[in-house]
Amino acid sequence: MFDFQVERKRSELYMRIRRFFLGRDYLEVFTPTLSTSLIPEPTIRNFETEFINEFMPRRKMYLIPSPEIFMKRMIAEGSPSIFQISQCFRNAEQLGTIHNPEFSMLEYYSLDFDEEDSIALTHEFLKETALEEADGKIRKKPLVMSVKEAVWQYSHFDLDEAQSVEKIRIEAEKRGHVIPSDEAWDDTFNRIFITDVEPSLPKDSPVILKDYPVQIDCLAEKKNDFYRARWEMYIDGIEIANCYREETDKRRTREYYEKEYAILKCEREKSGEVIPAVDYSFCDIEMRKSSGVAIGLDRLLMVELGKNDIEDVLPFSFRKMMNV
Amino acid sequence: MIKAGQIEKGTALLIKGQPFLCIEREFVNPGKGSAFVRLKLKSPATGQTLSETMKSQDNAEDITIEDRDFQYLYNDGENFSFMNTENYEQIEVPMKSFEGYEFLMKEGESYRITMWEDQVLDIQIPSKVVYVVTETEDAARGDTVQGVTKDAVLETGLKIRVPGFIKKGEKVRVNTETKEYLERVNS
Repeated sequence: MFDFQVERKRSELYMRIRRFFLGRDYLEVFTPTLSTSLIPEPTIRNFETEFINEFMPRRKMYLIPSPEIFMKRMIAEGSPSIFQISQCFRNAEQLGTIHNPEFSMLEYYSLDFDEEDSIALTHEFLKETALEEADGKIRKKPLVMSVKEAVWQYSHFDLDEAQSVEKIRIEAEKRGHVIPSDEAWDDTFNRIFITDVEPSLPKDSPVILKDYPVQIDCLAEKKNDFYRARWEMYIDGIEIANCYREETDKRRTREYYEKEYAILKCEREKSGEVIPAVDYSFCDIEMRKSSGVAIGLDRLLMVELGKNDIEDVLPFSFRKMMNV
Repeated sequence: MIKAGQIEKGTALLIKGQPFLCIEREFVNPGKGSAFVRLKLKSPATGQTLSETMKSQDNAEDITIEDRDFQYLYNDGENFSFMNTENYEQIEVPMKSFEGYEFLMKEGESYRITMWEDQVLDIQIPSKVVYVVTETEDAARGDTVQGVTKDAVLETGLKIRVPGFIKKGEKVRVNTETKEYLERVNS
């Protein structure tokens, strides 16, 4: 049985989102979901298909895990602030209560914003777009804390003192984790974070965790030697949004591309999984000062309607289509 | 060995030499990072619960468990005694591992028991069971209206709340998880 009320509510949420951004002079953009290249991200596995034209060589194509590349190219080419609602795809995703390999994402890039400006905008966004069914806590001012503060509060150690692989491993082992000898810093950190921090985050308002460790590499600018200008927002303990102060240094972008692609290739050659094509010309774009936010709309809708399973807002979820 | 990502609710695992059953599993993907599973495990032997976070690609030692039918004989305050209905062998299970089960199991009834080698991991109690009410006060005049409940003791000693119209000697269906009255059963 389809719950058409949920479809009605999704449509209403999308209308509110469009009204919110158009009212602030953001340009709505529409970029491809099928791309000739992707950003190299070792932990996000990809769907691959092929473009066939009898007069051309066959060409591998990939479903996008996010519209990031295209939207950043638009920013670099002189667009105003932009937003987009698009379908995104992440392969090998577990079919749990908050995951579906195809999902809806809202991304907005705000020119001349830093990550703090994006916090204020995102709070306004939640207040103004929340459906009337949504619990009042969604409209509340987000509780903002740094990752370092959250680790101190919920796992009781100083993240500044655990910057090396050896030190974070000691902290993890003290907490009963069994760590493989070759594990990278970010995986060991995530074990502690997922066990101690994430489940303890308050649920009576949105929570923003800011300043992520530099060891978790991404295209967010560095704030200092230890932390990046990146935040994530949780509502009801569920991760809903991710924000960067976007990297503008071409050299850093190229370094990131080269390093991540090397890791990706090495891992996937071993596992035999899809190695997507990467277009290094992205490293030469003139990225302007901006802050980008990505919000998982299926999760947001789920939280606003008080549903416990993402399937309740997806009439054709993978689990339903596959009968699992 | 299985990958942690393959663990499901009900999967039996060996953790530091002790058997545990997975009672909750949740997939977690950090915004940037490898996929993880958050597990809640329970030791059927001690009742101890354990939270484990593992990378989906981590190895976990799974064990093969099987279900066998046993007849519940009695308890002596320390152990439950069961008899294997196929080979008539008797086993004893410490009551502290299955707290409160003496109020749910009926002597002489058959129960499906989950075992790993010779160790009892779980005694399966159906989610709805019919019991005889052995003690309850007669409803006072006027108390038979809907919504009024009273104490009752069932044949196993389980104490629950029942509607005012239930009489001693009648049968009631009970939710064994919540220990709540569901309905009167006419025999």
